[in-house]
Order: sequence, then structure tokens, then C-alpha cells
Amino acid sequence: MKAIEIENLNKIYNNRVQALSDVSFYVSEGEVFGLVGPDGGGKSTIFNILATLLLPTSGQASVLSRDVVNDAKIIRQLIGYLPGVFSLYPDLTVEENLIFFATMYKSRIKDNLPLIRPIWKQLVPFKDRRAGKLSGGMKQKLALCCALIHKPALLLLDEPTTGVDPVSRAEFWDILTNIQKQGITVLVSTPYMDEATRCDRIALIQEGKIIKIDTPTNIMEAYRGFLYTIKVENVFSVMEKLKEFDFPCNYYPYGQELHIAFYEAPEIVLQKFCSFLREQNIKFEELSPIQPTIEDCFIELVKLK
Amino acid sequence: MRTILMLVKKEFLQVFRNSLLWKILLIAPLAEFILFPFTADYEIKKLNIAFIDYDHSTTTREIQNEFVASGYFVSYGNINSQKEARSLMQRDVIDFIVEFPCDFERKIITNEYTQIAVTANAINSVKAGIGTNYVQTVLFDYISSLAESFGVESQLTNITITNIYWFNEQMNYKNLIVPGILVILVTLIGAYVTALNLVREKELGTIEQINVTPIKKWQFLLGKMIPFWILGMGEFIIGLGIMYLVFGITIQGSFWLLLFATSIYLFVMLGLGFFISSVSENQLQAMFVVFFLFIVFVLLSGLFTPIEGMPSWAQYVNYLNPMSFFMDIIKLVILKASNIHDIKIQLLVLTGMAIVINTAALLSYREKVK
Repeated sequence: MKAIEIENLNKIYNNRVQALSDVSFYVSEGEVFGLVGPDGGGKSTIFNILATLLLPTSGQASVLSRDVVNDAKIIRQLIGYLPGVFSLYPDLTVEENLIFFATMYKSRIKDNLPLIRPIWKQLVPFKDRRAGKLSGGMKQKLALCCALIHKPALLLLDEPTTGVDPVSRAEFWDILTNIQKQGITVLVSTPYMDEATRCDRIALIQEGKIIKIDTPTNIMEAYRGFLYTIKVENVFSVMEKLKEFDFPCNYYPYGQELHIAFYEAPEIVLQKFCSFLREQNIKFEELSPIQPTIEDCFIELVKLK
Repeated sequence: MRTILMLVKKEFLQVFRNSLLWKILLIAPLAEFILFPFTADYEIKKLNIAFIDYDHSTTTREIQNEFVASGYFVSYGNINSQKEARSLMQRDVIDFIVEFPCDFERKIITNEYTQIAVTANAINSVKAGIGTNYVQTVLFDYISSLAESFGVESQLTNITITNIYWFNEQMNYKNLIVPGILVILVTLIGAYVTALNLVREKELGTIEQINVTPIKKWQFLLGKMIPFWILGMGEFIIGLGIMYLVFGITIQGSFWLLLFATSIYLFVMLGLGFFISSVSENQLQAMFVVFFLFIVFVLLSGLFTPIEGMPSWAQYVNYLNPMSFFMDIIKLVILKASNIHDIKIQLLVLTGMAIVINTAALLSYREKVK
């Protein structure tokens, strides 16, 4: 059975801004499915439609075999939703927030405590602290508890790790894996490409369109180029000069380094490239082949589109 | 039921944790309630009066002394001409001019026709109106006592002017203004605080988290109304207490009838607050709309100027003003001991308004956005 089915979904805001165009994908039950893409790509719009907060302009979307427009009330009892911005009551304590949301879903904390226990254990020392005074990571854990307290069949997480430190992010993903083991389907979005590898399948989304849907491994294996990394002093001035290098290649800054992908006869092009660098008097160190990451794949898919 | 109780509990927790809101809700209005009636004083003392005396008689001098003795007037003394009087009035030095003609005393004694001219500075119409009344009272008092002492059957002694102010026997302004301020207080709690409350949830984003839960719209709105209804009623009762303890005003009518009417009025104001906040995007917008309506309500309510004196269009607009109906009820029950039959029209109108505005609030509150 499918936990989420979306077909030709379109969303146009104010008759002007096309946020989604013909988006179609499905999420199987028990899967952790990732929506990956830059800000403004339409991820939050998909979440709002699935969470029954936003009406689609056209197309079909169903959650657990129920239509998001007509069966909104039923869907709300079945899903847990974590919005992109922290939206628990900052002036209520950790415990009061949890009790409040449990009651809103007509469930009691003790009924579903086993499900949230691993996360709740970390929150217990702060249970009398106001939610607004928690750290970013703790806030997200509390929000997750509140979204899970009625044991939903599907969890919608809109950028749960944005603004959270790397250690807490890794921890958060461990928690998600655990939730998945309890039989809960997870739809999660993230702007961080490295997190995408922790999903069963991912959809790369940009400007309201889905570019690719597959498992992270398949996406990385389908990478067509030969990827090299190069350390130079000023990445952007080098990129400026590379415009004159007329062999098919694809280059972009990657942190402090420059990634460059060649598409034909890599050995020959690489030699040409080295001599080009010397001609241009560009100092560099460490020109070495590397394995593409999801981010490299995403960039390739976007550029070759 | 458990859901609504939880919503109510949450709202109370938030109100009492918000240190500013808490103060605004109770301390500020009550302080206003105690201070404001002393400043909104309709009783006028120390009116400056000047005399133009062409008679220079014992009688006119005695009348002048009577004015000062009344306690309401401060004498500027005698001046010689209309022209001087005019310039003094223009400079706001004097408020009243009393002019005695020649032979005033003689004509009084011989029972001939004579006149006294009273000129009032009517820049402040309330002051001029009330002051003119004082002037008349002083003059009649003096002249009738004069006639008596002379043993003369003056025409004036046949006329006695007695003012009896029903339901406010001492014509005490506080009896009118204090219940009026009570109405303003209840309105502030009802409309202002609730209008800002729901919009705040929009600004914080917490409304989204509420909207994805399966609770129903009416449960959510009721969960928000009950706490503010309780706070409003509490404030009203405290206000009644202050009214008695500080101003000595007792409720002539039924206390329970008063509470019943207030509870309906609060639902009108709560509904209005929620309607405004569900169509506003932020607290600033909501605040402006409530502020605008509040001013209109107060000015039309009849607290400061009588409704009967307003132009007819304003009187029609007043049919839409819940505050004027409630102001009526409060004055009637507190001062006139009216019972439920006397105020049933006002009660029915307020009930109707409560139903309409709350339905509008419920319909305008959207969980789903287009």
C-alpha cells in the first residue's frame, strides 16, 4: 500500500507564482522518503498540501488512501506534522506542550510513551523549562515528541534539521531510523544533501519540478561524469578564467575547493586542463579524482537538464 | 470536553505567564477605573463672574455677595462697560457677565418690570449650560427671599423652581460616569485582548500546529473564549466592588440580572475580537481595527453626550453599537432598579448580535488556505 500518492499536483499562489508544476510521486508504507532541494523549490508547499493546510490548484494528492481536500479531518488524526518553523507554545513548559498536543489528538501520554521514550528521556531533565528557552536541537526533539504522541501512521517533517548543529542533526536522523522501525512512514525534506543518503528514496526537487526520484545509491551510481577536486587560492577568479577552457566540463565551488567534472576521455581532457592551468598561471594543489556525493549528482542533474 | 478544558487551561497558563498582559488585564484598567471618574467631573466650581452694575444699590451688592456665597462663583468685581467685559471674556478671564439696569432696586420694590442680562461664554457648552442654571438659581433664591422680607407679594414668590433629579438625586456625575467606565472596561477585555490573542498565534506559527490536529473550529474558538469570558466577568465583579467601596454606588436592581446581561455582552465583544483577528494578519492590523471601532462605540454610546442630541443618522448607526445597548442596561439596572422586562429589548438585541458576530467569526476562521 502507498502511504502518499501525488499525481500531477499543481500549486499556483495568487494566480501568479507557480510553486509546484505537475509533481507526481508516491511513498510506500514504512519508507523514509526524502524531498531534497534548495530553498524555494516547493518542498514546504508539498508539505502544507499533504498536511491539509493548503488547497492544491489542481491534481490529486492522497494520504493513506484518503484525499487531502475531502478527507482532511480524517487525515489529521492519522498524521504527525512538524512545520518548517518551530511552532509549539514558547511560554508553555516542555511537559505542558506535550500534554497539550496529546489532548488535542485525544490520546494520553502513557499510551504512546514507548514510541517516544528514547527522545523523551533526553527531554525529561528540562521538562519544567519553557519550550521557548530550549536549544535548537532540543526544540526539534520536543516538536517530534508532540508530533508522535498520538502514534501517527505517517510523519511529515519539513526541514527538521535546519538550524540545528551537526551533532544534533546526526542524532536526529538516528531517531528517524528508529521511528521507521516502529512501522511509521516518514516524509522528510532537507536542504542538506548529505542527509539525503539516510533516506530509502529521495526526490530531487527544484523550482517546483521533480528532477529525479530514486534511491541515493542509484542516483550516485548514475553519475555520468568523471569528478575531480582541486584546491586553488581564489575559487571565483579561477572560475572566471575557466570560461575560456573549451572542453565539455562542469565546475562549481564546493566549500573551499573547486569541483570539476569531465565528460569525454578524461585522461586527455585532464592533461589539457593541467596545461590550461599552467598557461593561465593558476596555482593549485591537489588535483585528484573523487567519488561524487549526492550534491554533485544534484548539480549534474540540474545542469544537464 | 477534555479538549476544551485543555484549551482553556493552556490559555490561562499563557495569560498568567505573560507578565505584561497580566498587568494590562487587571492592574491598568482598575487603576483607570479608580482615577478616571475624578477627572471626568461634570460638577463645575469656580466660575469667574463679573458684574456690570448701573444701579449701584444695596440690592445689587447683596446679589453679588450671594453669588460668591453660593460657592460656585468667583467674583471678578464690577466693570464699567460692555466693551471691557467682552475683552475680558475673550481673554478667558471671566466666564459669566451679569448686568443690572438702572433703577433695578426701585423697580423690584415697586413691583415694576425689570430685567437682568446674563451673558455666558459658551466655548465649553457644558460649562455654559450648567453655569447659567446656577446663575438662575442664585437670582431666584435672592429675589424671592427679598420679597418675603419686604412682605411684598412679588410675582416671583408665586414661582418656585424645584429640580428633582430622579434616579440620581444629588445629580452626582459619578453615578453616571462610574457605571459607564465599567462598560468600557468590559469592552476592553472582551474585544482588545481576544483580538490580539488569536493573531499572536498566527504570528508565532502555533496556529499551524493547532490546525493540523483534528480539533474542530468551534472547539478551538470556544477554548479561547471561555478564559477571556471568565476574566471579563471577574473584572466586572471587581469593578462593581470598587464602585460600591470607593464611590458608594449601590446596585438598585438585581445583581444577577446585571451579571446575566454582562455575560451576553461579553460574548458579543469576544466574538467581535475573534472576527477581527481572524481577518487580520498581524497584531498591528488587529489593534488598529479594534481601536477605531472602540472609539466609535464609546462616542456613540451616550456616555459623554446624550444620544438624543445626536443627528438622526448617528442615532441609526447606534442601533449597530452593542456598547450603547449595554450602557443602557447598566445604567437602568444599577441606577433605576429596572427588571428583566424593562431591559428585554436590549438583551434580545445583544443576544442577536452575539449570535451573528460569533457565526461570522467561526466562518471567517480558515484552517485551509487557498
